[in-house]
Amino acid sequence: MGEGAIDKTRDLKYEYSRLILPIGPVHPALKEPVHFKVTVKGEEIQDVALSLSHAHRGIEALAETRNIVQNMYLVERICGICSHTHTTCFVQAVEEIKGLQAPERALYLRTLIFELERIHSHLLWAGVMAYEMGFDTLFMYTWTAREKVLDLFEETTGNRVHHAMNIIGGVRWDLTPDMIQRTSRVVEDIEKACTFIWKSFQSRTADKRLTGVGLLSTDDARSLCVVGPTARASGLTLDIRRDDPYAAYRDLKDSFSVALDNGADCRARLEVRMKELQESVNLVRAILDQLPGGDIKPADSQVRLMRVPVGEAFSRVEAPRGELTYYVLTDGKEGLQRLKVRTPSLANFAGLKNMLVGGEIADIPVVLASIDPCMSCTNRVAAVDTETGKETLIDFNDIRRRPA
Amino acid sequence: MFPVVVVVSLLFSGVDRKLHARMQQRVGPPLIQPFYDMVKLIHKERIVPLTSSPSIFVSATVMAAAMALLGASIALTNVFTGTSFMGDIILILYLLVITSILMMIGGSSSGNPFAAVGFSRKMTLLIGYEVPLLISVILVSAKTGFSLSYHAIISQQAQMGALLAASSPSMAISALVFMLCIPASVGVVPFDLSEAKTEIAHGSFIEYGGLYLALLKLAKDITGFTMSFLGLTLFFYLPAVIQKHVALNPWSTIGVCIAGSMIVAFLTITLPRTVSARAKLGHALKFYMAIWALSLVAVALTLVGL
Repeated sequence: MGEGAIDKTRDLKYEYSRLILPIGPVHPALKEPVHFKVTVKGEEIQDVALSLSHAHRGIEALAETRNIVQNMYLVERICGICSHTHTTCFVQAVEEIKGLQAPERALYLRTLIFELERIHSHLLWAGVMAYEMGFDTLFMYTWTAREKVLDLFEETTGNRVHHAMNIIGGVRWDLTPDMIQRTSRVVEDIEKACTFIWKSFQSRTADKRLTGVGLLSTDDARSLCVVGPTARASGLTLDIRRDDPYAAYRDLKDSFSVALDNGADCRARLEVRMKELQESVNLVRAILDQLPGGDIKPADSQVRLMRVPVGEAFSRVEAPRGELTYYVLTDGKEGLQRLKVRTPSLANFAGLKNMLVGGEIADIPVVLASIDPCMSCTNRVAAVDTETGKETLIDFNDIRRRPA
Repeated sequence: MFPVVVVVSLLFSGVDRKLHARMQQRVGPPLIQPFYDMVKLIHKERIVPLTSSPSIFVSATVMAAAMALLGASIALTNVFTGTSFMGDIILILYLLVITSILMMIGGSSSGNPFAAVGFSRKMTLLIGYEVPLLISVILVSAKTGFSLSYHAIISQQAQMGALLAASSPSMAISALVFMLCIPASVGVVPFDLSEAKTEIAHGSFIEYGGLYLALLKLAKDITGFTMSFLGLTLFFYLPAVIQKHVALNPWSTIGVCIAGSMIVAFLTITLPRTVSARAKLGHALKFYMAIWALSLVAVALTLVGL
């Protein structure tokens, strides 16, 4: 650090009419690293540039070097909040290639953990939303409620976050009648907590931060292909659980309804997620009532079931953040030729520029949190297009023809 | 008096953090955590950014802490020993305002865009809360014989044997205005927009570390203590009411005042911090326009003689 370095800074030309705020990769508003270059004039946002891949781990490349059972554990660790959704999607794709159908009870248990995960993810999101608004107390309260769900996970599956519940052709852990009782009691507590949380978000200071902030019109939402609660809050009825049922959702079609709202702002997204919490509670109750008997594991061992013929499958599930899609191409030798994951957060990021431009700096953390971004999910594939400046359309055929 | 001010302010901060945690169903840090923080920060590396102007960056912290310390000491000495001079209430308020301004100036001199945003927000908010604050203090001195002496205000209450806020409607309104301006002048949620953690990454404090951060935290805590102390002694001078029943020596007087300020600090700093979200600039200004209106009502009442 000599004279040369100091001279360089003296030569800096400052443009005083606009200010470029670097939000991230390290910023208190972000749970995970992502970079937004926000250009502001005064307090008004004029432009947003997004740069991803700060948490790139090369998972899709790793998947090609592991066998199917190892891959199940690998995809689980793509995300901590929605880990079960990733394994479910992957296992469904493998079961489809093999032509295997998991037993009824196993499907119901898969769905139970799926819905419990949705509950814990939405409670986590509510806490993060409160924290971004400066409402620390509500953050602490929602996460205390979430602890009950995590304890339930630990008692059922042995772990709080990465459950390792799915195996090819079934699930690993069963529910005793004792656990069924306990689950219904926990779910009742969660219902009461959700009513309180919803009321707290109606308080004046919280309401002012949410209403009219981060608007995404229905047409924009449709053309940008946002998914999940972000889309449902802009009036689009998209829910894989109803449109393309998987696991036990075909049987449970009458036990839940799709949460919709037309507000298209952060408050609408909050309402949709609060409604989804209630729907998940109803679904959990329905599952516990209708739980069929029978086996939960397939007849064969995992080692034999790993021998999947060459084939490809495309499976999708409704993760807490939206539609999660997996494309799996097996190589016939117990491994994978290609794994492609498209997470909902990647789709939802597209809507951010529309939501932020025209708003204030104070809205940035609130809007970011309202799409519920999960950067760990998003950053497995490098976004190379921005570096080369080229626009390439990657369609289904390109993914298949990509060399192994 | 300086060590007393430091110790008491940090204790106030510790109590605030503990109560805040308890209200959130947490255990919270020990009461003397701010002392541990001070000691640790003093040992940490002091970084002066390349894009800053080092003279302002460093001196702003030292001056902010010094001004806050001075203001608090004058207030405490007044109540303890009764030494006073004309205009000292204006001096105390001036020192507290200059502390906030120096903290912002130091932050903005760092060259960080977040600090620039924090600076502009604070300057905008300053218009909102400083004027009602000053109006309420001027009204207090108007009611106590037009002397701008802190001690005169206190002894007037002692002579009356009643709290100033309870003596007339304009004084009650002034007390309310003063209390409502405390959260913004100290910088706590809902009016901590200039140091918003999630929006602008601590605003003016972003580039400070080590001894500089220790001094700024000290300045902030002392401001919190002094504002609550002023709020109590100007409007609710408890020893005035207590000495009708019990004889008070200077030590118990100061003890009662500090205990009373702890209650004021709880109501105006800890409670809003716990139960509300952060306000946006537009909403905060609208709120303070209402406070402006309230203080003008108090002025009108004073002119009428109530």
